[in-house]
Amino acid sequence: MSENKKFRSKSGKERFTRILIYIFLSVLCIIWLIPFIYLVFQAFRGESRSMVTYIIPKEWSFDNFIFLSTKTDFWHWYLNTLIIALFNAVLQSVIVLCVAYALSRMRFKGRKFLMNLMLVLGMFPGFLSMIATYFILKLFGLTSENSVPGLILIYAASSGMGYYIAKGFFDTIPKSLDEAARIDGASRARVFFRIIMPMAKPIIIYTIMMAFIAPWGDFMYASLITFGHEEAYNVAVGLYKWLDKEHISNYFTIFCAGGLLVSVPITALFMALQKYYVEGVTGGAVKG
Amino acid sequence: MAEVKLKNVKKQYENGFVAVHDFNLEIKDKEFIVLVGPSGCGKSTTLRMIAGLEDISGGEISIGENVVNDMEPKDRDIAMVFQNYALYPHMSVYENIAFGLRLRRLPNDEIHKKVCEAAEILGITELLGRKPKQLSGGQRQRVAIGRAIVRVPKVFLMDEPLSNLDAKLRNQMRAEIILLRKKIQTTFVYVTHDQTEAMTLGDRIVIMKDGFVMQVGTPQELFNHPANLFVAGFIGTPQMNFFDAKLTKEGNGYIAEVCGAKIEVPDYICEKLDARSSVPEKVILGARPENLLIRPKGSQNTIKARMKVTEMMGSEMHIHADYGGDKDVILRVQTADMDEEAQVELMARSEFEFGIRQRTINLFDPEDGRNLAVENAVAVPKKAENAPVAEDIGKKKKDKKTKK
Repeated sequence: MSENKKFRSKSGKERFTRILIYIFLSVLCIIWLIPFIYLVFQAFRGESRSMVTYIIPKEWSFDNFIFLSTKTDFWHWYLNTLIIALFNAVLQSVIVLCVAYALSRMRFKGRKFLMNLMLVLGMFPGFLSMIATYFILKLFGLTSENSVPGLILIYAASSGMGYYIAKGFFDTIPKSLDEAARIDGASRARVFFRIIMPMAKPIIIYTIMMAFIAPWGDFMYASLITFGHEEAYNVAVGLYKWLDKEHISNYFTIFCAGGLLVSVPITALFMALQKYYVEGVTGGAVKG
Repeated sequence: MAEVKLKNVKKQYENGFVAVHDFNLEIKDKEFIVLVGPSGCGKSTTLRMIAGLEDISGGEISIGENVVNDMEPKDRDIAMVFQNYALYPHMSVYENIAFGLRLRRLPNDEIHKKVCEAAEILGITELLGRKPKQLSGGQRQRVAIGRAIVRVPKVFLMDEPLSNLDAKLRNQMRAEIILLRKKIQTTFVYVTHDQTEAMTLGDRIVIMKDGFVMQVGTPQELFNHPANLFVAGFIGTPQMNFFDAKLTKEGNGYIAEVCGAKIEVPDYICEKLDARSSVPEKVILGARPENLLIRPKGSQNTIKARMKVTEMMGSEMHIHADYGGDKDVILRVQTADMDEEAQVELMARSEFEFGIRQRTINLFDPEDGRNLAVENAVAVPKKAENAPVAEDIGKKKKDKKTKK
């Protein structure tokens, strides 16, 4: 009996703790969701385009989306961002995976130094080098109206530094597989593409996702490099323009509609690939 | 099918650690060589240097007519079986075996023929459509062997291929490797830390310690005439007993005296001793547990011992005893030589006397551990000084026991 009681009291205590944890998590969830819900509601608000103090619209409509599509450059910015994101997804993934594989498998002089250097450099915020980067790009004529290739170059150029998680993943694949393939007659490149790549699906997908998502949210570099050239804006810069004093009263709901459209490809991609995303992060974490 | 020659091969890592010192070996065509030694002795490194997976810091390796020092693994015409199988998990068994052939751009029907032949030899035909994760350990190892034999390589390298299998499967696979070897007739280099595998598989065995080659020889040579104390202690279970002995010249021969028992030194050792410029007075006498014989009380030239533990193994009995105070000794007694009563009586004894089978003894130099009767014997490397030196053996075993 006494054991039974003890068991019951323990389980009661556990249940109480769990309830507390769930309440805490639910509150957090709501706090995180409020801005998004707010954004969605505002995007469908029909009565006015200015900022208001209530959340639920009095009148629901698609006017904001229609306005966005017909009377603004939004889809142009969207296309710019999509082009940058697609190029970046390809370039950054190739670079990150190659760098990570090389650092995981090959032993060469300065390897450790290089890894540490990249780690330390990665700790500095990117905007420290913004002015220098701007002048270099300007020299090549890749600013203002030519910002799209300029931005692709910037994102791809620094991508090798994000090797860490992918390297952690490659470290978990036994080296003897590479060795067996090399003895079987494969070159390093063939080992990478025929043996390692098919086994690294989670980390490839993770890398592609990260590379695709990053440009959608970049504001600082994009605003500096496109500087005043509306046709070269990406979505973040373009939408932000509507939040300044002159525009906010006429464009706030338009801004929200744009924000909602921006989140569509990212959310869809995330939902479709979240299984791999988790595998990629945890797989990389084993030895990362 | 080729000879493999290693001349003064050395492996030194960037931090200065030398994994293999001055390795010399000529492996004949179709010979089965086993590299054996404790962990960290450099046996796998040597194999990987032959495979081209490790750079060579010095010396020369040749396979057939070609010096392969700077040759890529794929160009050496070798095949290797790894301890962890190293099967490509995303490919079927068929594709795993065919991978090497595909890279060599063989026509599809030839690949199919060769894969089926290899699968037939190894009895894995029905597994060809499966993925590696659907196979058991033994089946995986067979596939790994299949992947290696399908290319008909000049040299077949195996790095502890049976270590990941359970004891029963290991015995079975060992027998299969012997059969396989008969079927495919090529040069084998096999690495293991298991002396049973080494003794049963190898035409010749290379024993290594701390990067040095201790002895190269046939299993019989290594067992009967170990070149130094390390080899003597490494080969054979239970390990060889070592006694402090005094060597004296008597007539044409020599007598080794252990705790008052006089043992006549065999003629072939006497000849070698005579050929030496100086003969040490103190030596270490090595005798295997099966060559220590229990004698009736009061017999001449016997050593008195106190029984400590007896282990009944079925066909034989291991007797752990001590003699001369605190020195340990192990005897192996064939139970078939005694009836059950005698066995019970022996196990109940607290003391007994044993003699040493004279023709089987080995004499070692206590200074450097070398066998006095083996020409060009290698001294036990300095690091190994704490290994089998007669006086220490008893003490060490005691230390271990007290720690427990």
